[in-house]
Amino acid sequence: MNPFPLLSCVLLVLGAAASRAQTPALTERRTITIDERLAAAAGLAVGDLVVLATVAGSDGDTVRVAAITRRGADPSEVARSEFRVRLHLDHLQVLTGSGDRVGRFAVQSRAGDERTPVTSPETVAAAINATAFGFRAYPAAQVAVETSATFRVINRFHRAIGIITIVASAIFLLCITLLKVDERRRDVGALRLLGVSRSSVVRAVVLEASLVALVGSAMGALFGSVASAVVNWYYQGFYATPLRFAMVTPGIVAFAVTLSLVLGVVSGFLAAQRLVRAAPLDLVGR
Amino acid sequence: MMLRLALATLTRRRARTALTTAGVAVAAAMLLDMVMLGSGMRESFRGFIEQQGFQLRLTPRGTMPFDTEATVGGASALVATLKADPDVVRVAPVLGTKGFVQRAGTDSVIAAFVLGVDPAVQGDYLIAEGREIAAPDEMIVNAAWLSSTGYSVGDTVALAVGYEPQVRRLRGVRSVRIVGRGRFVMLAGGERAAALPIATVQTMGGDERRDRVSVVLVATRAGVDIEVVRARIERADPRLSALSTTAALRFVDERLSYFRQLAFILASVSLAVGFLLVTTLVTVSVNERVGEIAVMRAIGVARWRIVAQVMAEGVVLSGVGATLGLGLGLVTARWLNGILASFPGLPAAFDFFLFEPSAAFRSLGLIVLCGIAAGVWPAWRAATLPIARTLREEAVA
Repeated sequence: MNPFPLLSCVLLVLGAAASRAQTPALTERRTITIDERLAAAAGLAVGDLVVLATVAGSDGDTVRVAAITRRGADPSEVARSEFRVRLHLDHLQVLTGSGDRVGRFAVQSRAGDERTPVTSPETVAAAINATAFGFRAYPAAQVAVETSATFRVINRFHRAIGIITIVASAIFLLCITLLKVDERRRDVGALRLLGVSRSSVVRAVVLEASLVALVGSAMGALFGSVASAVVNWYYQGFYATPLRFAMVTPGIVAFAVTLSLVLGVVSGFLAAQRLVRAAPLDLVGR
Repeated sequence: MMLRLALATLTRRRARTALTTAGVAVAAAMLLDMVMLGSGMRESFRGFIEQQGFQLRLTPRGTMPFDTEATVGGASALVATLKADPDVVRVAPVLGTKGFVQRAGTDSVIAAFVLGVDPAVQGDYLIAEGREIAAPDEMIVNAAWLSSTGYSVGDTVALAVGYEPQVRRLRGVRSVRIVGRGRFVMLAGGERAAALPIATVQTMGGDERRDRVSVVLVATRAGVDIEVVRARIERADPRLSALSTTAALRFVDERLSYFRQLAFILASVSLAVGFLLVTTLVTVSVNERVGEIAVMRAIGVARWRIVAQVMAEGVVLSGVGATLGLGLGLVTARWLNGILASFPGLPAAFDFFLFEPSAAFRSLGLIVLCGIAAGVWPAWRAATLPIARTLREEAVA
């Protein structure tokens, strides 16, 4: 259910009739703003006259489009396909017969100064809730968490996909390292016969696997950045929002590189252990 | 013979074969999951809609069912007109509103979604306990409503359709008896809901709700063209938007398009990973055995036999990997579905991952095809080795 009933009303009040006819009373008309998706779908422009009504087809109020708005980067609005119309509060109250009612208040808390330190939004909300009744105050951060539930679920889903990908990558890396090491059995056997120690062989293999992992993760970070730009470009256009859907942050890059390095070292070590456990003559095929 | 040779080659290096098979299994599992995700949402939603048994949903023009609080007036006349249509066999008007009830034994007020329905033809809930509504002052509620309010089936409660929180006053109060517990098919998990006869809800709502409906569900005669009926209804009453099952599915597709796109991308990546793994292993395997292959060619083994043996390795690897991937995919699909089950606003029983045998076997068949394709290059290379030079080089080595 929509938590803001008054806002819901706004969504349905745009009448179908639109006119660009200029009338003498134009300057006295109430004004509204519409979002750019509605403007595009209904072919409306700033200055157009439209009829607003609470019930489709009924008599309404002829108003003028004063501005066309763009949606903010709000996760809760991303998947919503409704059009948005904004009116002055008193206008909407009259139009919907809501009297002196509102759906919600936004309260800005006082900024702190030298004498009085800033009060946290949580404290302000708690103070309002302690003194008022009939409504509840929420800090903006809490509202943001509540309204981004969709994204939190998607985030958890992405993490799960990430875990599967890491498992697949680990297997892939171990497999490739094993193949590379197996290819050089004779070389390693010869080195061992020449007196190169087991630990040197292990170090060399681990170093090689680490370098492969490092170069691979650098290429992955680059590929991820390009993919993220493409994802943002596509979905920002698709949902008509400036919201950023994918971000490659330094923290993510550091995590990916560290994980790759760990996987590289482990796979290199395991592959090298298989190699050094075999007798040198077996490795050269004798 | 060919298969035995291929198996002997694969078992010679057990660790790498096991790892490649595991890699293919994970890729196959991911592919299966993504195929299930791609089609699951649509089919799951189709199941919900078809379960209701209505082909058309009429809403206030420009709105989706219950997306806003808009209603249409003249409900009785509208229902009568629809029933008079020869192509219409059933009409179920629904009025949605907010309902309030005091929690048992306390003064706290619980809000819930209240549906006004015609119990004889409704398609919004299935009775899980008790019986269907038979009188104006009876109602069906869901489990979430019962657990939130502390009432039980058989209790009589004071239900209101308005609440003034400043003065803690309920409006439009009526005493109703809970006669059953229902499973509301289209409501999100945890959402509290109650259903009463539509006339009761209209009366409780006063002038605001008198003779009004939020949605009218329409079942058409079998064999009739739904689109023709839909267009006719919209033409006849400009206040209405008529939404067919196809249009509703299109709407769901649009809203959940992200998952389909993600499924497509990840499925493609899984296929590519599976292909690369098998190609790498078979290529390395061929490189290690060039001398052996040259000897086989020298003693008269035909090229096609060499090709078939190398390709059989790819098929065995991908086949075993795909089989293991089937089980793994079903387990991970269950896990991922559990995560997405908390997606806001979707019915509780909605499945993102739906197992369809034909789609699953098609996707696993793709993995096996990838295994076959992965063997083409190394097989061709093995079959075209210059015999004398290879034998000489191997002897020197």
